[in-house]
Amino acid sequence: MALRTLQVSPGFMRFMPKEYQDLVEKGPFGRKLKLSDLGTYKELLEEHPMCEGCAMAFFIRLALTALPAPEHTVIVGTAGCGRLSLSQAAIPFVYGNYCDTNGVATGIKRGLALRFPDQPKDVVVIAGDGGLSDIGFSQVMHGWFRQEKFTTVMLDNEVYGNTGGQESGMTKRGEVVKMAPIGKQFEKIDMIGLAKTAGVAYIARLTPTNPSRIISTIRKAVLIAREVGPTYVQAYTSCNIEYSIPPEKVLEDARQVEKERYGFLEIISDEAKAFLAAQDAAHRE
Amino acid sequence: MANTVNQRVVTPEHLLFEAPRTKAFITGSEAASEAVRRANVDIAIAYPITPQSETMERIGNLFAEGYIRDYYRAEDEVGAFSAISGASRTGVRCMTASSGPGLMRGLETIASWPGHRLPLVFLIMCRVINAPLSIQPDNLELDYMLTSGNILLHGENQQDFFDYTLAGFAISEKCEVTLPVAVAVDGFFVTHARAWVEMPSAELKLPPRDCYSEAVPMIDNENPPVRIARDAPIQKSNFISYQMHAAWQQEIHAAHERSRKWVSRYINGLVEVVNPEAETLIVASGSAVSQSREALRQAEEMGKKVGLIKVKSLRPFPTAELRAACRHAKRIIVPEFNCPGWLNREVRATLYGHSEAKIADGPRVYGGITMPTELILEWLFKSE
Amino acid sequence: MNGNEYRVKPGPEGLLPPAAACCGVVLSEKGQGLVEGALKSENDTLRVMARELLTRQNPTIFPGPLVLWAWREGVADKAASVLELAHEIPGVRIIPMPDYRPIYPKIDPEAVINPCHPNLTIWHNKIEVCVFIGVHCHFANITLKMIRAGTNCYTITLCHEAGHEDSMASLPFADANQVRALTETIRQLKREGLRPRYADTPGILLTAAQEALSQGLVWQPAPVAQ
Ligand SMILES: Cc1ncc(C[n+]2csc(CCOP(=O)(O)OP(=O)(O)O)c2C)c(N)n1
Ligand code: SF4
Repeated sequence: MALRTLQVSPGFMRFMPKEYQDLVEKGPFGRKLKLSDLGTYKELLEEHPMCEGCAMAFFIRLALTALPAPEHTVIVGTAGCGRLSLSQAAIPFVYGNYCDTNGVATGIKRGLALRFPDQPKDVVVIAGDGGLSDIGFSQVMHGWFRQEKFTTVMLDNEVYGNTGGQESGMTKRGEVVKMAPIGKQFEKIDMIGLAKTAGVAYIARLTPTNPSRIISTIRKAVLIAREVGPTYVQAYTSCNIEYSIPPEKVLEDARQVEKERYGFLEIISDEAKAFLAAQDAAHRE
Repeated sequence: MANTVNQRVVTPEHLLFEAPRTKAFITGSEAASEAVRRANVDIAIAYPITPQSETMERIGNLFAEGYIRDYYRAEDEVGAFSAISGASRTGVRCMTASSGPGLMRGLETIASWPGHRLPLVFLIMCRVINAPLSIQPDNLELDYMLTSGNILLHGENQQDFFDYTLAGFAISEKCEVTLPVAVAVDGFFVTHARAWVEMPSAELKLPPRDCYSEAVPMIDNENPPVRIARDAPIQKSNFISYQMHAAWQQEIHAAHERSRKWVSRYINGLVEVVNPEAETLIVASGSAVSQSREALRQAEEMGKKVGLIKVKSLRPFPTAELRAACRHAKRIIVPEFNCPGWLNREVRATLYGHSEAKIADGPRVYGGITMPTELILEWLFKSE
Repeated sequence: MNGNEYRVKPGPEGLLPPAAACCGVVLSEKGQGLVEGALKSENDTLRVMARELLTRQNPTIFPGPLVLWAWREGVADKAASVLELAHEIPGVRIIPMPDYRPIYPKIDPEAVINPCHPNLTIWHNKIEVCVFIGVHCHFANITLKMIRAGTNCYTITLCHEAGHEDSMASLPFADANQVRALTETIRQLKREGLRPRYADTPGILLTAAQEALSQGLVWQPAPVAQ
């Protein structure tokens, strides 16, 4: 059982740093925790170097909280802002090249399935809109076509944040950003529609306005990926730097965007629906 | 997932050197896939390109037969090489293969494998790089591999392709190595031509990968530490970050040095030397070696003594061996199947200050042209 | 090869010292060790290690993930052997390397050592002899190179695999038996009359961070002196 990797050898606890003493004694591993438990346990991610008030950082924190089995989860990320905090989390984090997240996740998922046929291992890609809709597009789509059983979470800040604000495929049409000097000339890529066409089992679109919704969405996405097929969550996580949103206005912006064009949306396959229903029934018993 | 065929696990030493062998008249593609049959491979990921395809098709059949535990055709080379890198991080044994343009497409990924400390085997069936389009043999892509951090073996023939492929897994997974091993042969000349290959019984296979005895932890949540950014993105711009990256790169080179012992053990030395006392020497790798052997025979018929150094391992490069073998040389030629002459460059750099020999800048053919022995002979005795 | 003339001495070696493996230093076989790059018997290696640990300033053990976490059988015993070793080195400290991530916001060198920032993190460079044990080889090698580049620390490795060219003294394939053999060698040197540098402060010292933690205080690292 993987929790052994969190058992301090006898006699060594007193030499361990505080954060590890806390993680071992008050961490989330092997426990069923709810949103309301936040603040009562040591979270997977606390300190990180993302910008102050960044919506993406907030979203990542909640997404990690939602993982149903963090002790059996691997996170795959790539170049982009999200990795700054993901690499600090108490969860194995894989960083390959920019574009390769969904290929790497495929290999990880299949490798783990071979080595641990009786222990479900969750693989979750968490990457930017550029990483998934532009440079990594082909691997995202083909992972879906192949029905690879892992979750893809897009941190959609509608721009290349990490490289200083260039246009991405997910930037809105007409937006003037770097490398789009006269405004973006084509529509935001419809990744939701593409996911549907590719037969993704669970698709969700959301903004960070509602923490419990983030948690339930991510949890569903991970569980369905474990049992049914690929899942995709597209989260609006504004970049306050590139879109000049003052930190205190981040949630206001998210609410506005949610109302105008980023409303909560779930597309669930029949098989995934049946799985969720069975889960619910089991829960009630 | 197919059921696994029952094979007996034996040590790499037994499989490579002790087990009785029988002869088969087969192509290089067959030889490579026969090696994979005995290599206890968990995952193979394929993407077609001539002249590689036949090997990976055969390996697909091995999956269907139950010799390999997982296999699929990827979306492209970047996808295949990325997925292999993911699989290798989880501790399973994996392999893939490509040729010229496909290798070039995946080069960023290939060059990141060593830094990620990923044991795996990468077969290269050499083919020209576009443009213009061609599918012919020419090993220019190996020039790009030389600085990629991968261990790089260059087989002469079908037998080498079989032996080096098996050896590749054993070398790659040694703790002090923990690096990808690329095994190259020249396309068509080796992949599509038949030759006698001696192989141990298909009832034997290598031991499984012992992933907890490697230089880095596995990404499987079953070994510590739990909190691991194994690929440590260097996030800071300060001296320590630079120094860490520098030390990381040095570590790859150090691992190459440590691999010498294992490469040498598993492929019987980094070089083979024929007629070491000769003053006129040929240094070659890959199928240029076969042509050189024939040229050497013809020279002997003409009453001329010529030596031959077969370079089996390009990375690690046989620096000491080459210097020792060339100590008495007066003239060296380096026949190659590529335009820029990467082996020639390596030989010059290695012998600089260590040999008085004149090193000819050739002969070279490329674009699919074969290397006539006459050309080698002409270059050998040009200056006389 | 360049022969085996290259010596792996304590640093600081300067801006970017070479990897010892690239200078001709070759790993030893089982039953042997490396001392400053030269092959030695296991016994001789242990005696060098023992002497350095007893005589240099601020001896410190850096246990890595493979001994800190009791993740499989045998680890607890090996960990116990490390504590036994520590008890024979007066004035020793134990600073763990619990993981390999580049730690944000910054390292507290009294709490951890981390391969992404080692020479900033070996306790303000006051450690003049250390032992690596249970660190994965890749991360040990990187850390060892950086320590040799920037500090005068004498690095000792008790490696569970093939050993480390970049440490001043290295023993390969070291399990609890080898750790106990080192402990025994230390006892032997003491019996032979070697008076440990910290003979007057026996036992394991806690760093200020560990001390504060053990008393239930939340400790803040002191600002780094400029
Ligand atoms: C192969 C390659 N191409 C380009 C880059 C440069 N690069 C690094 S991060 C990045 C943009 C990241 O944008 P996105 O994926 O949207 O994530 P964000 O930073 O906005 O979260 C780019 C282009 C790279 N690292 N590798
Ligand atoms: S640049 Fe934008 S997306 Fe990146 S951390 Fe800062 S606010 Fe967040």
